[in-house]
Amino acid sequence: MNEAISSKAGRQWLVDNLDHSTNQGQTAIPAVQKGCCQRCGSVCYARLPSGALYCRECVGLGRLDQGKYLVRQAASGTYPKQRGMTWTGQLRPAQAEVSQFLLEQFAKKKDCLVHAVTGAGKTEMIFPLLAEAFSQGKRAAIATPRIDVVNELFPRLSAAFGQIMVGCYHGKMEKEPAGEQLVICTTHQLMKYYQAFDLLIIDEVDSFPFAGSPQLHFAAQNAVKKTGSRVFLTATPPKDLEIAVKKGQLAEIRLKRRFHGGLLPIPKLDQYYRPFIGKKGLHPKLVKRIVQACQSGHPLLVFVPRISEIPIYLDLLKKEKGLAELKMAGVYAEDPDRLEKVQAFREGKLDLLVTTTILERGVTFKHVWVIIVAADDRIYQTSSLVQIAGRVGRDKDDQTGLVLFCYHYYTRQIQQAVKQIKEMNR
Amino acid sequence: MKCLVCNTDFMPKIDFLALFSPKKEKNSTMCPACWQKFHRLTGTRCPQCGREQEKSEICQDCQKWQRAYQGKILLNHAAYDYNAAFHDLMVSYKRYGDYILCQLLSELAKEDLVKLQFDYYVPVPTNPDHQQKRGYDTIWEIFNPLVPLTPLLLKKAGSGAQGEKNKKARMQAKQNFFLNPEFRGTITGKILLLDDIYTTGRTLYHARDMIWTAFPEVEIESFSISR
Repeated sequence: MNEAISSKAGRQWLVDNLDHSTNQGQTAIPAVQKGCCQRCGSVCYARLPSGALYCRECVGLGRLDQGKYLVRQAASGTYPKQRGMTWTGQLRPAQAEVSQFLLEQFAKKKDCLVHAVTGAGKTEMIFPLLAEAFSQGKRAAIATPRIDVVNELFPRLSAAFGQIMVGCYHGKMEKEPAGEQLVICTTHQLMKYYQAFDLLIIDEVDSFPFAGSPQLHFAAQNAVKKTGSRVFLTATPPKDLEIAVKKGQLAEIRLKRRFHGGLLPIPKLDQYYRPFIGKKGLHPKLVKRIVQACQSGHPLLVFVPRISEIPIYLDLLKKEKGLAELKMAGVYAEDPDRLEKVQAFREGKLDLLVTTTILERGVTFKHVWVIIVAADDRIYQTSSLVQIAGRVGRDKDDQTGLVLFCYHYYTRQIQQAVKQIKEMNR
Repeated sequence: MKCLVCNTDFMPKIDFLALFSPKKEKNSTMCPACWQKFHRLTGTRCPQCGREQEKSEICQDCQKWQRAYQGKILLNHAAYDYNAAFHDLMVSYKRYGDYILCQLLSELAKEDLVKLQFDYYVPVPTNPDHQQKRGYDTIWEIFNPLVPLTPLLLKKAGSGAQGEKNKKARMQAKQNFFLNPEFRGTITGKILLLDDIYTTGRTLYHARDMIWTAFPEVEIESFSISR
């Protein structure tokens, strides 16, 4: 790597005071200005006994107090001008079209939104864009709200760009930055950068915690150079991005077909009047649906709104006669056996998995069908429902399948989710 | 109102008694959903340290202390179970330095602490280096709004935090407290030691040892928010 690039290039960090001289290429600013945190943009309201304000929102990165300073290292130096791509795969025509669009927008320094259906093969589409950026000696980052996605992307991109230094950062690892040309990280990590990247790609923009977090949006704005551009990838664009598209601030491209060319499965709607769990156990109609799905020989994901409901449903399902021979389990975010159970389900060692929204995205199970119990619960945003529906029919040999929304009240989220899916199928 | 733990907006409970009573209770700093994550210590417990267990006999930890101190066991009053929610709260308050959470910890301590009538309330002192770095004394700030505190003890600089050790290292920790030279006068009556977490009891027993070097006659019990 070029020696002119400092390992701290484009980073920002906190110091208690300015008694040491700032080095070349560094600037220091007061950490709190006009009551706002300069790292995450939040309005500070909590005070220490000394009366100094501090920021609660980004406290996990080291407490930022009024009176401290943020030191920012300029993103000086350039990287060697080389494409660095070792990936030799071929993009499908639909993917290539998106890729071409991204290259054009990057040349114009315009931010873009890629609205591609679940299972479209988004990651490959950005390879040519990254290669183009590297060929100009530019620096790029791919940020995503979820650690699992970071862990999945890092090996893929390291393999695709064998000649580029790739860094991987998230909160569960302690690692000193090394000024890598390509950084893959969680959106939280972006708070440690200031005007560092020429190209910032944010994957799964609609996902928690990025969606609805002003702090992370602030960081995503700050981490890019003034001359840089951003690309947002999603299957379900959030409102703010849709508005930006309408205003012309953002160029949008849609990819309506999955990589295998098939349509998205349309959710079936199933309304209930009595509660899902009554005095005599599960609602008979719900049991019937689950039995039917299982008898078809497909592995079944049953989504419930809350972790606490997993064991309840699991117990009741185990008591059902029609399901007695099935192997089932429940899995949730902090489950110590989460990875093992998901793997067992993938390998067909489990027939039925009761879970929460943790399995809504980023996972592929062959031939899987899904049932959402209480799809009208407020935990299910439109994007969650679309993502869950998107688990089904991802295999090129099995492009359809059952997506069943069970609910009591027909919510706006259910309506919007079905509408979005139908729109993408048109 | 915003919940101090999960940052969501919530409606504080309004009941008529509170609305019309002359004493204004401060609103809770935590939403009902977060309250549910904290588990009050009730049911059968160790009569000495307050740990929740199946039998109401003296627990194994306390039996060890009983042997080590020839029967002079420390009576500890504890309010909440040290569960994941409490752990996360302490990580934010102590490691990250999220000072405002002292309001919430005061609230958790309050109900049980006001029932305990003592002559002196002595907070377990914190490491001055940590205090300097955080900008506050973690224990003092929790209990100061609730009871009149007597700074009888101090902690030596450079002594490590108990929270970062395993059980064996905790038990082998050396006496790090000393008497506050600025405290003059004498103590008669009962002392209640105040701490945030009772894990092995090592800290509180050390604190009691140190007080007894100067005032061997006083009666000492302890209060910890969690066990």
